[in-house]
Amino acid sequence: MADEFAKGLAILTGGGLVWMAISAWLTTESFEGTQLIAPPPEDPGTYAELVLLLRDVTAGFVIIGVITFWFLIPAFYELRDYFDERSAEA
Amino acid sequence: MSNDEPKTDGGEPKTDGGGIVPQDDQAPTWSERKERTQGLARLTYEYFERSRREDEDLRRASDYVERDVLAFPTWPHEMIRNLAITSFFLGAMFFIAAAIPPHIPGPADPNSTPAVILPDWYLYWSFGLLKLTPINPELSLLGGQKLMSDRTYGVLANLVVVGVIAIVPFLNKGSARRPVEEPFWAAVGVGGVVFAFTIAVLAVQNLITDLLPMTSGELFILTFMLPFAFAFVAYSVLKTMREGYMFELNRRYYRLRPPK
Repeated sequence: MADEFAKGLAILTGGGLVWMAISAWLTTESFEGTQLIAPPPEDPGTYAELVLLLRDVTAGFVIIGVITFWFLIPAFYELRDYFDERSAEA
Repeated sequence: MSNDEPKTDGGEPKTDGGGIVPQDDQAPTWSERKERTQGLARLTYEYFERSRREDEDLRRASDYVERDVLAFPTWPHEMIRNLAITSFFLGAMFFIAAAIPPHIPGPADPNSTPAVILPDWYLYWSFGLLKLTPINPELSLLGGQKLMSDRTYGVLANLVVVGVIAIVPFLNKGSARRPVEEPFWAAVGVGGVVFAFTIAVLAVQNLITDLLPMTSGELFILTFMLPFAFAFVAYSVLKTMREGYMFELNRRYYRLRPPK
């Protein structure tokens, strides 16, 4: 279980770092303005569009990875243990 | 050491005191002198002698030549690990500094006072403690006067909070190592953490009342009620968990050492 937590944490921090760097480059108005979640520029170049795509990919990766490793897999293990114990008792 | 040299310690060759010659054969050996000591000195001697002996036996019984040590050597094991961790954090710092350079604002204008004056965020709690004016009591004994000015009251509140935290290392904290084992004190801790947050929010009450639909009076009440609410919830949850925790603990213990 601790391993699953560490994996989720690694996904969160690693993916979050990439997402934060890209967001600081492309979706930050200014220091006083909206940071990290401002709308992207109107006509970014090809490379900036690729980077924005990578930003969306990392966001999805972080969300799905955290949900998987912190909730789905532990829940699956708990359910498996529960059914194993129940079948052992029966 | 050759065999015809006088033996001073019960006939066993020893590296320490080998060259010391007793007065005559009747003089007590060093072992006998040590054994004759009384009380704590004797107890200490026996303890260390026994552990030394056990260590020696272990080494003698061991198959390993140089690896039967009680720890890992600093080089390479710990150095490599520390280098890896250091490199990781250095890399993270360099990456962040290069990819997300910090904002450097323009030079401060000494002729204009900023609208909002605040300390750094980690000192908000202390700043909030200076804003305890509503609970500085007006004493009827003094004809509705306050015993001390609001500024003095705030400084005194800082002293009280810092004093309470400073006392903690000198308290006997018992043998509990998990919050479930001491629900009450865990709840006190939760309340303290929440209070550190709410009092920090009170320090920036102007910004909060602009942001959220509440008056500064309601915020002030929340500042002191939220810690109690969180402590209450934490206490109930931990108290409920305690039974299951003790059950698990006992089950594990009895599995380890079944009762006769």
